Amino acid sequence: MHEFAMTTQIVETALKEAEKHEAKQVKDIYVVIGSLTFLSLEQVRFAFDVLKKDTLLNDANLHIEEKPGYVKCSSCGYEGRLKLEDDPAYHIPVPLLRCPKCEARVEIIEGRECTLRRVKIIR
Amino acid sequence: MSEKTSNPSMKEVVEAGEGEEIYDIELDEDLLRANKEIAEENRILLESKNVLAVDIMGSIGSGKTSLIVKLVEALKEKYRIAVFKGDLTTTIDAERISKHGVEAVPINTGKECHLDANLIRKALSRINIDDIDLLFIENVGNLICPSEFPLGSHKRVVVVSVTEGPYMAVKHPFIFADADVAVINKMDLAEAMDVSIEKLERDIKGLNASVKVVATNCRSGENVIEVVRALRL
Repeated sequence: MHEFAMTTQIVETALKEAEKHEAKQVKDIYVVIGSLTFLSLEQVRFAFDVLKKDTLLNDANLHIEEKPGYVKCSSCGYEGRLKLEDDPAYHIPVPLLRCPKCEARVEIIEGRECTLRRVKIIR
Repeated sequence: MSEKTSNPSMKEVVEAGEGEEIYDIELDEDLLRANKEIAEENRILLESKNVLAVDIMGSIGSGKTSLIVKLVEALKEKYRIAVFKGDLTTTIDAERISKHGVEAVPINTGKECHLDANLIRKALSRINIDDIDLLFIENVGNLICPSEFPLGSHKRVVVVSVTEGPYMAVKHPFIFADADVAVINKMDLAEAMDVSIEKLERDIKGLNASVKVVATNCRSGENVIEVVRALRL
């Protein structure tokens, strides 16, 4: 739901970096988005195409690496993926914050990150 | 090597053409970090003035404003209270609250689906923090986005109501996982809606064993005192 806000952050951070290094243009942007952020990647790409217009990012390609959720159960020791509940009412599968093995509550190790990893600039 | 490449995180990749060079810059920048840092500054500011801030999150129409009105009525003799009221647009709810004799600052987010720490920082600059002890921050009606954007509050309350159906908790695990108090509102309508409050409470406890769950009717004020107790106010 907050794809536009997050993509604005991506664009602004990349622009700041480009200006700092006196780039003529930005060629590639690499981001990592955890699947438990609930960000719809399609909407991120759409927002990116809108926001990059008439900036140094005009011709930049956005590369998104999606990181799956990774959890740990303190009860039975399970480490791994979450079980997903597919509900037709939602546009993405909903993860249950329960251990797929013993149903206890799990701790999220990975999957909530949103990181701008690298930019490639031309100067 | 020219000074252009003196930064170790920046490496030249290839010659792009006449006079052009491509550089690959490593950033590893957490895009949520800016918000987290401002949230921390907000918290430090509030604590320096001995103000306790409570973030009230919840779905649209679940009764967030009604809960705040009842909490204000119950607590306004004991504390000096201000309310920040996030909404996409209009000041209707802020007026509903200010009628009760406390300062209510509307924060209109336009199209944004959540409050963020920067909006709270701006709102804090519009009030005299020295004049309050307790701050309620009503988030935009939404069970998804606010959980990603801490504001600098000390306690987080989630409000859902039985009229939203029986699956609100399991479908929105993150917002409950981060909450201190969960309010199940409109308890008087549970039977008509055929929604089990006990089942909802079990679902919430399954997501967060330490959360305090209170069933309320925020129109009549029933059980709102239990929310006050759960917040230790």
